[in-house]
Amino acid sequence: MNDGRCSAIRLTVAELGARLEAASRLRAGDCTRRGLLGAALLGGAWIAGCGSRGEPVGARRPAESVRARIVRAELAAGAPVAGSPLAAVIARQDARHAARLGAGARRARSTADLATALARKQEAVFTFVEALPQLPDPADRVALMQVLASEAEQLAALRLAAGQEPVPDAFAGFVT
Amino acid sequence: MSVATAIAERYAAARTDASLVETAIWVEQLGALAYAAAADGPLSGAQRDRAERFAGHEQEHAAAFATMLLALTVPVRVHASDADVDELMPAVRGERPRAALEVLAELEGAAIAGHQVLARRLHAVDILRTAGMVMGGAAQHLVVLRTDLGRPPTRAFENGL
Repeated sequence: MNDGRCSAIRLTVAELGARLEAASRLRAGDCTRRGLLGAALLGGAWIAGCGSRGEPVGARRPAESVRARIVRAELAAGAPVAGSPLAAVIARQDARHAARLGAGARRARSTADLATALARKQEAVFTFVEALPQLPDPADRVALMQVLASEAEQLAALRLAAGQEPVPDAFAGFVT
Repeated sequence: MSVATAIAERYAAARTDASLVETAIWVEQLGALAYAAAADGPLSGAQRDRAERFAGHEQEHAAAFATMLLALTVPVRVHASDADVDELMPAVRGERPRAALEVLAELEGAAIAGHQVLARRLHAVDILRTAGMVMGGAAQHLVVLRTDLGRPPTRAFENGL
């Protein structure tokens, strides 16, 4: 239902341009394609029209589907990081993320090398960003933001510990 | 008044989506000015280089939120100033690098807490995609600042406080 609050539709082209510009900075293999695709889909959804409370019609996914994607991303990102001095701390934090996000008893099992861990955590950040507006409960959105911020921190900390530039992008993405 | 208190009070006073986003813009503008001042002031070497880069990041964050404000059909009139830096973050112009890093960490934490206020209060929830990306950048800045300060760099649940 459209409640008429979607003033944002008037500037959808500018919005799309800004998002594409931001996504164009996110260059890391699959992450690049996902970022660009996400930006394009989002822009397209905005152009398609407005729904309730400023939301594009047809862009909303059932909350359970969104939560399932969040949990999958967190479990993938939570694989223990092989060879990092931060591995133990990050594994403990990731276990808490999984529990908070509703993974129940499921936990990541196999370990990941640094490059794989960074890619999975980056993917989780993108997934969480995409999911934020799709969670209807503000408390759930805040909880997801707190985990999102933690995953972004872990990316920077892992890079720093490995002697890499910790913040290669203003928006917590990859730059190659 | 501390910079964290000033930011929290601005968010608490905001009553509309537009005013919430204006607050977010002001915080990012303040960050850009503060990092630039710290780079010109007490920081040196790698910390100075990072401060210069992070000042640029803060400008990008402010521009991203400004785009969101325009999308709400509200012109961007908010401008943080050097006077705000002088009042709320004088340590970035002082002589002690650690004091500058501490107040910059306080600013980043307060910015993150503000982004989570947006998650709770915004009606135009699509803006949260931008807020989430900006918050991720702030969280990564915080890791560098905490590391330089000898503090644990990451938290399981980052609320900025």
